[in-house]
Amino acid sequence: MRNGTDRLRAVNVPQPAVVELDAGGSPAKIEMNSDVREPVTIEAVREIWRIDDEWWREPITRTYYEVLLHGGARLVLFRDLGAQEWFVQKP
Amino acid sequence: MTLTPHLASDSAACCWIPLFALRSELARRPELVSLPVALLAPDTARTPRVWQVAPLARRAGVKPGMTVSQAIGLCPGLKLCEPDPVHYDEQFARLVAALVTVSPVVEPAEVGRVFVGTDGLEGLYGAPENIVEAIQMRSAECGMRNVLNAECGMRNAECKGKRREANDPSLKFRTPHSEFRIGWGRGKFVAWVAATRAKPGEAVIVPVGGEAKFLASQPLAVLPLDPDTHRRLLQLGVKTLGALVALPEEAVVSQYGHAGRRLWRLAAGLVSEPVVGRVVPEPIVAALTFFSSVGERDLLAHALDKLVDRALGDPRRSGWRVQVVRVHAELEHGASWLVEATLKDPSATRERIAAPLKTQLERSPPAGAVERLVVEFTAFVPGTADLQLFARDAGAAARAGRRRALQSAAREIALRIRRPMLYHIIEVQPWSRLPERRYALIDFEP
Repeated sequence: MRNGTDRLRAVNVPQPAVVELDAGGSPAKIEMNSDVREPVTIEAVREIWRIDDEWWREPITRTYYEVLLHGGARLVLFRDLGAQEWFVQKP
Repeated sequence: MTLTPHLASDSAACCWIPLFALRSELARRPELVSLPVALLAPDTARTPRVWQVAPLARRAGVKPGMTVSQAIGLCPGLKLCEPDPVHYDEQFARLVAALVTVSPVVEPAEVGRVFVGTDGLEGLYGAPENIVEAIQMRSAECGMRNVLNAECGMRNAECKGKRREANDPSLKFRTPHSEFRIGWGRGKFVAWVAATRAKPGEAVIVPVGGEAKFLASQPLAVLPLDPDTHRRLLQLGVKTLGALVALPEEAVVSQYGHAGRRLWRLAAGLVSEPVVGRVVPEPIVAALTFFSSVGERDLLAHALDKLVDRALGDPRRSGWRVQVVRVHAELEHGASWLVEATLKDPSATRERIAAPLKTQLERSPPAGAVERLVVEFTAFVPGTADLQLFARDAGAAARAGRRRALQSAAREIALRIRRPMLYHIIEVQPWSRLPERRYALIDFEP
């Protein structure tokens, strides 16, 4: 998000990610578009919540997952239910 | 120190430059003049708010006090500028210093508004119109041109022909391209109201004895009223100072108490608060006689530091920044050495004052060993430390110091990397459920 004068820059923009789902439809592996291209196994999903916003113009619907990665790192990712795409974002 | 016994003046000229900070910013960055610009308020890092707004942005609906998100929502092309209070204060100090050359009685009220006492100046300049013209000329030397509203008005000669209007006791004339609005009258209140009635580059003069007539037609808002009193008076149908004065004084006092009496008397032109100037200190001298003659530059530089410190600690220096410093040394065999430095940015810190002296010491050292060293502060400008009006306490001065250090570091980084890499985090929609909408980065430009 930058305004017309290029003065404002958005912070915490969602980063695209590739997520593999398990049989139950929960995220099982994640591959982030960063330098490390190896998919990382998701050990556990700790919390799930949903956001519906901006229904009055272009609706935004996301399901957020707070997950525990293999190795112990925590991560928050969401699925854009409109575009059916996955992103990583700090909550 | 010799004190001038009465630095006060009943007749006053109020010099007012609205949006002084914004104008100072635009004078420094002329590329912004044609854009919708707003300054962010100083010291509101948590939720930045708009402070001063240029006319183009105001036309788009941007108002002081709005949050950044509100302002951007109304005016997507808005250019937001980080405030630089140190710079604005320095510019204002220059203006005050220029006005001191017209009259010794100068009383800064706030940044952009200053009162000049004009008692006794008739002998030098003549009528009030001429005094005001002298003030305008001095202020023009400070470079405060009208960058926000560049329209050029009538020339003085044309305006002088139209000075006296049938029902208006005040005289008006204007200086093209000037941002100054000047009001002249008896007492600070009349001068201030006259300045608020003046257009850019114009002066409004209220002749002695014409105060009541001039004030009668002015709106109630010129009085120092709290919002509640203002509203109550408007509900009573009192819209002008004349309408207020038409009420019996005792009736106003019974409704509004002591404050009501003051308001009524101000409105009637019966209160004349004098302009009170400050006494400029005489030169401050600190001297050191060495036990044995000293030729080493390191020792002399160290002695310079100590002497500057001692002179800064003189109680007479309190409230003033040093503009001109002079060092003279008595050398062996009766010779002497003298250097003088005029500080571009008057200062009250040892490092800044001593730096040009040490440079001179390196470039053209004394021709012999020094027996006695004397440091003399010979000229001053108003101010406490580095900040005069924005830093009334130590905390604010410390914040300003940190800001200046940060700006210096930012400039260095920009020079090395050659692209903007430093940003200021601001809240945009902190309540948003979408994390990317909550904060934004704005270029940090020193």
